[in-house]
Formats: sequence, structure tokens, C-alpha cells
Amino acid sequence: MRRALLYALLAMAAATFIYPFLWMAATTFKPATEVGTLSLIPDHPTFENYRVMWSRARVGRALLNSLLVATVNTTAVLVFGSITAYALARLSFPGRGLLLGASLAALLVPGQLTLIPTYALMVQLGWVDTYAALIVPYLFNVTGILILRQFFLQVPRSLIDAARLDGMGELRIIFTVFWPLAGPPLAMVGLFVFMGSWNEVLWPLLVIREEGLMTLPQLLTVFRMGGAAGPGGLAVQLAAAMVLVVPVVVAYLFLQRWFIESMTGTGLKG
Amino acid sequence: MATVSFEGVRKDFGPTTVVHDFDLQVADGELVVLVGGSGSGKSTTLRMLAGLEDVSAGVVRIGGRDVTALPPRDRDVAMVFQDYALYPHLTARDNIALGLRLRKIPPAEIDRRVGWAADVLGLGALMDRKPKQLSGGQRQRVAMGRAMVREPAVFLFDEPLSNLDAQLRGQMRGEIARLQRRLGTTTLYVTHDQVEAMTLADRLVILDGGRVQQIGAPLQVYQRPANRFVAGFIGTPPMNFIEGALGPIAAGVGAWGIRPEDVTLVAAGTPDAVTAEVALVELLGAQAHLHLDAGQHRLIVVVPGGAAPGKGAVVHLHLDPARVHRFDAAGNAVPRAD
Repeated sequence: MRRALLYALLAMAAATFIYPFLWMAATTFKPATEVGTLSLIPDHPTFENYRVMWSRARVGRALLNSLLVATVNTTAVLVFGSITAYALARLSFPGRGLLLGASLAALLVPGQLTLIPTYALMVQLGWVDTYAALIVPYLFNVTGILILRQFFLQVPRSLIDAARLDGMGELRIIFTVFWPLAGPPLAMVGLFVFMGSWNEVLWPLLVIREEGLMTLPQLLTVFRMGGAAGPGGLAVQLAAAMVLVVPVVVAYLFLQRWFIESMTGTGLKG
Repeated sequence: MATVSFEGVRKDFGPTTVVHDFDLQVADGELVVLVGGSGSGKSTTLRMLAGLEDVSAGVVRIGGRDVTALPPRDRDVAMVFQDYALYPHLTARDNIALGLRLRKIPPAEIDRRVGWAADVLGLGALMDRKPKQLSGGQRQRVAMGRAMVREPAVFLFDEPLSNLDAQLRGQMRGEIARLQRRLGTTTLYVTHDQVEAMTLADRLVILDGGRVQQIGAPLQVYQRPANRFVAGFIGTPPMNFIEGALGPIAAGVGAWGIRPEDVTLVAAGTPDAVTAEVALVELLGAQAHLHLDAGQHRLIVVVPGGAAPGKGAVVHLHLDPARVHRFDAAGNAVPRAD
């Protein structure tokens, strides 16, 4: 009985999270006359909202831009972050403590504070309205480095010693010994970075003006603000939001096993 | 096959010197055990030979070649670690073969060597398992296989048996000894366990505080300890140290010592017998360790298990003057006449 009550409570809590999402998904398939209702099943399902969105904004191009930027950023953060984290965790060199301290200090600086200087730099470099402006400032991620460093510290020293005696160099140790062990933290950092990059609006709004280079959230913001969705455009706006959110949900579904494992904390077994 | 030599090797960690002026010549095919307590510098010395720690001063040679500045992979040594250090995501077979693949050995030769190691170590059915599916003893065998197939000039063992239970430790000790004799590979073995050291070694190097205390064959070290530290460290139960006179033994400049087996129980009234009271009896089965109070002196004596007197009993001891080890005020052994 108590168990049933618990499950009922949990189900209600889950419903409060899932209902708005399902409603949004359902509404994108509703004609304009049905948009105001709370029903989850359209009476007259239609793809009209998607067609309108597609015809009024270059969504396909923006989707590709977003995928490109998010993928390159995520890969770079994982590769460079692993190398940096390994050095900070496992190599001794002069200034290591200072570098680590500087990395931690960088976490304390709010992103908004560096926005203008970074923008000025982009202007100086002539990178405004190029992919470089979207990608280069995000090749490193301090949070990612610190998460990976924390994991790398747990790998027994003897494993690195054994790999060195087996004839591996440091890069090979990182990518063939540490990476297979680091699935959970890599998935977690990868997902955070991918989602961060995917959802970023402010920075693209600053550095990209040309529509062909816009990322999806930027395009949709411009689309909504500019009123291009047209009158009664709520369903069209929601359709655009669906296009934005689906890739992240899919990525999460693929990675959730590792993600949860990593959130609950894991050590090395065996 | 190779000789190993350390010439005036020193290791500093910051301002602390953990290994002082270490000199050692290891002959081709010899098994040398470095033994000492924690912080004695034994593992650091081994890691300097492997190239896993920089050498602060001095020269390390393998097969006459100066390897002091070479990275681990160019030194032709293989090492077995206390925690096995197997790659968790690879099978036993891949763990053993990886070092060979990285050295670009032809696949047929890799298969031959891996098969040979599996046979010698009895790993046949376990080769496709991952480390977490293996027991501690099996993991350590895989780790030994990984070292063997490399056919290195020198084997290094860093406390390889410390994570195993007592029974398995005894068994693996025998296997390592047999394997080393069979392969004839020069071996340096680090342990804190003096039983392991005594039973395995051709020669022992006893270390304390980063300094060599004595180098010699196990029996020689046991019978002629160079100083009080070695006398107390090697031997179970440890040597009895006494300051002042006791029975027929006169007081000396420093302490003197006598091994538990060199003290015998005798009948009351025997000339020069020392009277003592049993404070504690440790029954081990075949033998018993008696902890005795003889006036202000304390002694441990080994007696046959069946004949052990009870706690509180009064016993009479014969101390053999010929078996006494004398030490000077600094703790160094005073040479005996015999």
C-alpha cells in the first residue's frame, strides 16, 4: 500500500515534467484552431506548422551549422581536455600547481564578463561572421578538464607504469588506456558541452549576422523576435523548438546509461 | 640476459633524500631481493632501474649499457606490480600480447609466445577473460605472463604477492622461484616480507632509511648480520637483544643478541642456567613461542609445540655463549672469533 502511494507520487511528479513536453510535441501537429486546447492528441493532425517553419527560415542549414559547431566543440573539448587533464593529474612539471589554480580561478569568472573582450578579439582577428568565431573560443572547457582530471587521479599509478614499460607514449596512454576506462566522465562532459553548445544563443547573436552561418537556436530566436512565424504562430514556433530539442533528447537517450553511472560516481572495478 | 649495476645512485624527492649512494652489482641470471620496511627506499630503487623514476645522481647500467637517461620502454625490462596493473578493458590474452604488438613483433611470433606463457602459467582456459573475471592469483599469473613474453633482459617484481592470501602467497612464491630458475633471467625482487626474501633470494639487499645495511646470501645475512637493524629484521621471531649481563654472558659495550633457537630449556640446577617466568605462550602447532621475563630482561624462545610450559611457569634457560652476536655502541656487529 505504501509502495503504491510512493509510485503514485512519483508518477505525478514525472507527469508534471513530461506533460508540457508532450503538449508541445502534440501542439506542433495541431492546426491553428486547436492550439489553445490542453489535449495531447490532435483532432486533425497536420504537418502544416513544420512546412511553414521550413519555408520561412533556413532551418535545414541552421541545423547543419549547429551540428557542425556542437560536434567540433565537443570533440575538441574531450580530446584537448583529456590531454590537459592527464598532464594536470599525472605528469609532474614546474608550474603544475599554478596552472591548476589558474584553471580553478577561471571558473569564478562569469561568462558575461569575458563576452565583450572576446568579441573585440573576434573583430580584431576578422573572425566575425565565420565558423571560427563559433568554434575557436569553445575548444577548451575548464569544467571538463577538472572533471576528467578528477577521474584520471583515481586511475592507479601502476597502470601508467605498466603502459610505459609496455612501450606506450603519453598520448597513447591517454587514448588507449584511460579513455576505455573513462566512459562515464567522458559521456558526462561530452553531453554537457554538446548541450551547452547546442543551446547557446547569446554568443552567436553577437558574432554571426549572416543567415547562412546561423545556428539553430539563433535562427529560431531571430525567427520569433522578427515575427517571421506569422500571426497565430505559436504552433510554428513550437515546431521550431521541437527541431531544436529532439537531437539533445536523442543524444541523452544514447548516453544516459553512462551519464547516470557517472552522476552516481564510479570507481575502477577489478 | 644481462647484468645490472647501480653506481652511487641517489634519489631525492625535493629536499628529502630517499635513497643514499646505492651501489649494487647483480650477476647475469641472479635473483636479488631488496628487502626493508616501508620508506626504506626499496621500491624507489626498483623504479629507478625501470626508468619510472629519475635518478638524482649516479649511474644505472643494464648489460653494461648506461640506461640512466633512457625511457622505460628502451631499457628492456619487464615489471610485475603489487596490484597487477592489468588493463581492465582487455582480455588476459590481449593484456599479455599488447607489449609485443607495440614492439611490432610479427603476429605468428606473438601467438607462439603468448601460447607458451599460457602453458607455463596454466592460464589456458582463462585467456579470454577480462581481469575482473579472474581471482587475485590468476591476475598475478597474467601479469607474470605479460612480463615473460617480453623476454626482457631483467625482470622486476614490486611486492607481487602482497595482495594475495597467505596460502596462495606460498604457492606463488614457489612458482616464481621455479620460473626464474627455468628462464634464468636476471631478477630484482622487492618485498617487505623477510620470509619471502629469505626463501627466494640468491642474494639479499637489506635497506633501511634509504641506506644499504647489508648485502649477502640469505644464510650469511642470518648468521652474520652486519648490524643490529639486520639482526632484528631478518628472522622470525626476531633476535633477542639484551643490554647488560645475563647468565654466562657478560655485558659488552653495546647490546648483545641471541636468536630464539639458540636459547634452550634446561633442568633446574644446571650450571649457569637463567631462571625466567613465562609471560605469554604463542602456540603455532609444531612449535611454540615463549615470551619470557628474566629479571628486567625479556626474551623469546622457540620450543616444540607439545612441550610448551603454561603461562606463569618458571623455566630454566641455557644461553649458548658461542651463538651470541655482539654489537658496538653504534649498533654495528663486532666480528665473532669463529
